[in-house]
Amino acid sequence: MRGVTALLGPLKYLLLAAALLYPLTPASDVYVLHVVVLVMVYMVLAMGLNILPGFCGLLDLGYVGFYGIGAYTAGLLTLNYDLSFWVIVPLAVVNGALWGVILGAPTLRLVGDYFAIVTFGFSELVVLFLTNEIWLTRGPLGLPGIAPVSLDVSWLSRLFNPEWDWKYTFSGEIPYYYLGMVMVFAVYVVMRRVEDSRLGRAWLAIREDPMAAASTGVNLFAYKVIAFAVSTGIGALAGAFFARWTMFLSPDMFKFWESFLVLCMVVLGGLGNINGALIGSAVLISLGEILRVALPRLGLPAETRFLVYGLIMVLIMRFRPGGFFTAVSESTMKSPLIMDLRRRLAARKTG
Amino acid sequence: MLEQQLVNGFTLGLIYALIAVGYTMVYGVIELINFAHGEVYMFGAFLCMMFLTVFGAPLIVAVLLSMGCCAVMGVLLDVVAYRPLRNAPRLAALITAIGMSIFLQNLAMIIWGSRPLPFVKQALPAFFKDTALSFGDVNVSWMQMTIYIAAVAMMISLNLVITRTRIGTAMRALAQNRVCASLMGINVNRVISFTFALGSGLGAMAGIMVSMFYNTMYPTMGYNAGVKAFAAAVLGGIGSVPGAMFGGVVLGIAETLGAGYVSSPYRDGVAYAVMILVIILRPSGLLGRAVTEKA
Repeated sequence: MRGVTALLGPLKYLLLAAALLYPLTPASDVYVLHVVVLVMVYMVLAMGLNILPGFCGLLDLGYVGFYGIGAYTAGLLTLNYDLSFWVIVPLAVVNGALWGVILGAPTLRLVGDYFAIVTFGFSELVVLFLTNEIWLTRGPLGLPGIAPVSLDVSWLSRLFNPEWDWKYTFSGEIPYYYLGMVMVFAVYVVMRRVEDSRLGRAWLAIREDPMAAASTGVNLFAYKVIAFAVSTGIGALAGAFFARWTMFLSPDMFKFWESFLVLCMVVLGGLGNINGALIGSAVLISLGEILRVALPRLGLPAETRFLVYGLIMVLIMRFRPGGFFTAVSESTMKSPLIMDLRRRLAARKTG
Repeated sequence: MLEQQLVNGFTLGLIYALIAVGYTMVYGVIELINFAHGEVYMFGAFLCMMFLTVFGAPLIVAVLLSMGCCAVMGVLLDVVAYRPLRNAPRLAALITAIGMSIFLQNLAMIIWGSRPLPFVKQALPAFFKDTALSFGDVNVSWMQMTIYIAAVAMMISLNLVITRTRIGTAMRALAQNRVCASLMGINVNRVISFTFALGSGLGAMAGIMVSMFYNTMYPTMGYNAGVKAFAAAVLGGIGSVPGAMFGGVVLGIAETLGAGYVSSPYRDGVAYAVMILVIILRPSGLLGRAVTEKA
């Protein structure tokens, strides 16, 4: 067992290097790249959702609503005002977080399932709005022709090399692959830093025991609203990236099924575990793709994909109700007290 | 016009109430939002159609058989999916419920196809189309009358079961305190299974009535109806059976009026908006117990 953990260190960097280099190798495949970018979008979503049920113990069944808000904000701003991606991302994040606060402020006092149901209802209302406000969103027809991401650094031409065209428009999957990687990395770093910060500790305290947290001076309401705003902002970030990547949006993309999928990713990885959320999204998206290819080969109709998916989720919950990797925070593992306890436990087992 | 809307809303509301009762009873007993309940309702409609067409059963027999099958399905759902998770984190049970809902919905799609099917017209008695009551310009057909009578009869008998029988008393005891109830010698699992059977049977009845009333059934019909019925249960105060009945009727009328006078594309939105407003303003529902956090 110790050999495996020792190997994991270098293996991590090896995997990262492989992931960085993969699109440049001749063996890279457009389909694989596409799936990996999709996995990245879901990784960001899973990390964002993880804040609510994972850190604060609040169940959100309508996360996809904010993803949709972010995506449509980005799509509409691109189509109507032709803004740059780099301007749109903060706007979409702010819009997502704003709606998060509008919904969260009156409802975060509720507990458990009631909060879950409000978020669920909200995401259904978002889909209804996107479907019916045809003047704005073109309804079920969707928004086609959203411009891809472009990197316009023409101001640099005044400094060096005026002959160069300092504008780069993304095409194909490879640039999105790297952009997605930057996005996942940025959100990951922020989440890891937040987890062990004052903010993260307050969230975990709320999850473990709201009353104890309140009596030690944690302002429950303020910290919950911050959690909701950060979480919905990250959802909107993923949405903005998704809009400029697929270049097409339709209300169908933001149905309840997606919320369920993201929730499954978080639970599968172990609630509150950021690495687990990443693994969960990679596993579930790949599973979806594998089923899509494998089932027709077995002579089963395409509908069976969701059937099998539902069944697999039921089975996982049946046998691993806590997910695969339960969360233990880094600081806990490094605490001398815990390390001593673990050592003594191990000694007792061998002796 | 308004009167006709009210009558139609009342019909719809009674049907929501029948579904909502299933949600609220299960929630009262095991505190789980049984997302698969909407699918049981959908199976009720499809199974009834199957008994009518494939086995040529008379309407009343088909309805009873379908209700029985759905009751068994509800019990199976509990035994297979939820019982192993009784002591697991609540999120696990909730995800299982949503997973079962997706599973059953796609199962129906594979068995009966995803396109809407009409109800078997020939099986309905001819007088169903005739007007039973007519005051002013409002017409109530015999079919609507049948729905009223059946729904009200079921609610009354349900209330009698819950308040007057031994098993009903056991259900109420379980809703108050499961551990204590088991110490009093109540077989907890059997009572929970009974609750699922009761709720699923009523849900199946609602599914049959809806497909009869709108003359259509499709595999995804359980999703919207389930959500709205849940909204009705919340509206009345979750865990409260009379509340669910009351909430269903209020929601049905609000929805028809909203569709008629505010905006018809937002028909489904009315239910969600009412639900969110009720949860924010009066989380205990109209007839329920308080739920906000203590801190």
